[in-house]
Amino acid sequence: MTLKLVKRLALGAGAALLASAAFANPYAKYEGTTIVVSWPALAHFNAAETLVEEFTEETGIEVEIDALQYLKLRDRQILEMSKNEGDYDVVSWVVMWKGEYVSKGLLTPLSQFFTSGSLVDPQYDIDDIAGAYLENGGVVGGKKGYMPGASGALYGVPFGAETSILAYRKDVFEEHGIEVPATYDDLTAAMTKLHAAGIPALTSRGKTGHQVTAAWLFHLAPMGGKIFDDAWNPVVNSPEAVKAAEFMRHVAKTGPLGIETFGFGEASAAFLQGDAAMHLDTLKIAAMSRNPKLSKIDGNVGYALHPTGSRCGSETGGFALGIPQNAPNKEAAFLFIQYMTSKAGDQRMVELGGDPIRISTLKNNTPGNPEYPVVAEQLPCADPDWRPLIPEWNEINIDVLGQALTQVITTDDPIQPIMDEANEKLRAIMEREGYYTWASYRKSN
Amino acid sequence: MTDFTAGSVAVRTRPRDLSALIPYFFILPAVAIMLAGLVYPVIQAFYLSFYDWKIGTEFSGAPYVGFGHFIRMLGDENVWESIWVTIRFGFWTISIEMFLGVSLALLLEKPIRGASVFRTIFILPLMVSPVVVGLIWRYLFDARIGWINYYLVQVGLEPQVWLGDADLAFFAIVFTDIWQWTPFIFIIVIAGLQALPSEVLEASKIDGANWWQHILFVKLPMIRSILMIALLMRLIDVFRALEVMYILTGGGPGRSTELLSLHIYNRAFDTQQLGYASAISVLLIVIVTTLSLGILRMGNPMKDKSDI
Repeated sequence: MTLKLVKRLALGAGAALLASAAFANPYAKYEGTTIVVSWPALAHFNAAETLVEEFTEETGIEVEIDALQYLKLRDRQILEMSKNEGDYDVVSWVVMWKGEYVSKGLLTPLSQFFTSGSLVDPQYDIDDIAGAYLENGGVVGGKKGYMPGASGALYGVPFGAETSILAYRKDVFEEHGIEVPATYDDLTAAMTKLHAAGIPALTSRGKTGHQVTAAWLFHLAPMGGKIFDDAWNPVVNSPEAVKAAEFMRHVAKTGPLGIETFGFGEASAAFLQGDAAMHLDTLKIAAMSRNPKLSKIDGNVGYALHPTGSRCGSETGGFALGIPQNAPNKEAAFLFIQYMTSKAGDQRMVELGGDPIRISTLKNNTPGNPEYPVVAEQLPCADPDWRPLIPEWNEINIDVLGQALTQVITTDDPIQPIMDEANEKLRAIMEREGYYTWASYRKSN
Repeated sequence: MTDFTAGSVAVRTRPRDLSALIPYFFILPAVAIMLAGLVYPVIQAFYLSFYDWKIGTEFSGAPYVGFGHFIRMLGDENVWESIWVTIRFGFWTISIEMFLGVSLALLLEKPIRGASVFRTIFILPLMVSPVVVGLIWRYLFDARIGWINYYLVQVGLEPQVWLGDADLAFFAIVFTDIWQWTPFIFIIVIAGLQALPSEVLEASKIDGANWWQHILFVKLPMIRSILMIALLMRLIDVFRALEVMYILTGGGPGRSTELLSLHIYNRAFDTQQLGYASAISVLLIVIVTTLSLGILRMGNPMKDKSDI
C-alpha cells in the first residue's frame, strides 16, 4: 500500500516535472524558425550534418546548410554580411579572417547572448573548450588585436578547430628502421633517409598563394621565427625564417611528386593513398585516415607531437562559428552554436567522425582515437601568434609570401634575397595601412 | 497651283520620314541592352577605379584616390608581367589554332567517307563547359595521379610536375586552349569554304592551278574576311580567358600563368583591392579596343557593305 502510494507520488512528480520542462523549453519560442548556415565542405562539417538533423529533431528549428569549398567562403560571406539584411544566420570562418570581419563590423559580439539567462545553458561550461582554440577562433581585440588579453571580446566559438601534429606510417618507419622524429633535425634526417630509399617523405601543401605560405608557417613557429616583431616590423628575412624556407625546399625535393601544385586536399590525399610517409599538418588527418572512403592506410598510422626546433610551437587554425550583424534569426543562431559545441554535441561529433574542441571530450575518448592523447599534449604548445590575424593578412599571405615561397620551392635561387624582397614588400603594405604612424609621431616629438 | 504643289510635297515626304525612323526603332532594344549590360558596367568600373573600396564596407566611406591607382599600375611590375604572359599565350594559341583549324577544315571539306563523324568529334571540345575543361586537364596533368604521367612512366620517361613548373604550366595552358578552341576556327572556316561559289573554283582548275595554288591563291583569299573575324574573336577571347586557367593553375606557379584577366580577378577577390583591380580592368578594355580597331583597320570584312 505504502509502496504503491510512493510509486504513484513519484510518477505524478515525474509527470509534473516533464510538463514544466516542456513548458519551459528554451527552444519552444523558436520552433519552426529556419536558420541558414554557411560553412565549408570539409570532412568534419560533412560529419556534422547528422548532428544538425538531430538538432532540428530536438528543437524544431530548421537548418539550411550552404557548404562551399573553404577558401571560397570569405567572398560569399562578406557579400552576404554587408547587405542590409543578410541570408546567413550562422557563418563559419577560417580563423585568419576574424580580424577582417570584426574590423568591418560584420559580426555580432557573443556577449549579447552569453548574458541572457534564457538562452545560455548553465551546463555549457565554456572553460572546458581548449583555450588555444577559443582564443584563436573567437576572440578579437586583446594584444595585437588577435591575441588573448583582457581587452579581447568573444565573436565566435571554435568548431572544427585544429592544431598540428605529425602523422607517420608506422609500417614504413619500422621497415626502414626510422625513429619517430622529435626535433626538426631528426625530421630532416628521416626525410633524407626515406628519399634515398625511394619513398616520398613528407607531403605538404605548396600551391602558389595561401597554401604554400600555410605550409611554411608550420615550420616557422617551431624554428623560432615570426612574421612581425612587437613593433610591426616584418622579420620574414630573419635567419629563422630563412631556415624554415630552406626546410620547405627540402620538403619539396624529398616529398611526393607535385607538391608545388598541392592544396590541403591534394597533400592529404597523397598521404592517405600511401604516396607519402609523413603528414605534418592539421590533426584532421587522423579522422580522415580512419575513413575508408578516403584512406588506404587505416591501422598503419602513428601520431607524434609536432617536432620542435628552438621551441615547441604548433598551428592554431581551423574554423569558428559566429553570428553576422545582419542575421535575421540571431537567438536561434546562438542556440544552434551552443548545441553544436556543447559537451553532448562535442561527444556526438567524435562519434560521427569529427574533431572535438573540448578538453573533457579529448580525455574521455582516448580508446579508438590514438591521436587524442597526442593532441592533448600538443595543445599547450599551440601558438596563438602562429600567424598575424590582422585584416591585412590576406594580402600578405597570398600576394607577398605566397609568391616568394613559390620561388623558393620551384627554383634553386638563393633564399635570402627572395625573403629580403618579401620583407620589403611587407613593410610597404604596413606603411600604407598606417601601422607606423605612432612610431613616426613619437620620433618627431 | 501653289497649294497643289505644297500638298504633293507633304504627301511625298511623310512616308519617307517614317521609313527613315524604322531602322532606329528596330535597333532600339539592342542599343538599350548594350547600354545597360555593357556601357553602364564599364562606366562603373571606371568610377570605382578612383576609389579605394573594400568589399564589406560602405562605399560612401571609401577614400577617393584620384589617378593614384592608374599611377601605381603603370609602375607595377606584376601587371606588366601578366600582360606579357597574356601576349605570349595569345601568340602561341592563336597561331597554332589558326594553322590547325584551317588545315583540318581544308582536309575535311570534301565529302570523304565518315567526314561527318570526324567533324562531330572535332567539335566536341567546344561543347564542354570551360570549368569542366579546366577540371579534365587538371586531372590529366596531375603529377601524382594524372594519366599523362602514368603513360610517361609506362614508356620509361621521367614523370613531370606539369602544373608546378613555370615553363611546363605555361605549356599546359597553351595546350589546353588549343584543344578547346581549334574546333571553333575549324567550324567557321569549313562553313566559309562550303559557301564558296563553285564557278570560281572550277575556273581556277580549268586554268591549271595545282592543289597548293588552288588553296593559297583562290580559297584562302576568298575566305579572308572570315579568317579575320575568327582571328578577332580569338584575340578578344585570349584577353577574356579566365575559367580554365583559374581551375588549372590559378595563375601559378608564381605568376607564370597569370593572364591579365586572372590577375584582375586575384587582385579584386583574393586581396580585395577592388579599386585597383578596376583600374587594371580599364587598361584591359583599352588594350582590347585598340587591338580590335587595329585588326578591323587592316582588313575590315564589312568594309564594302557599310561605313564601319
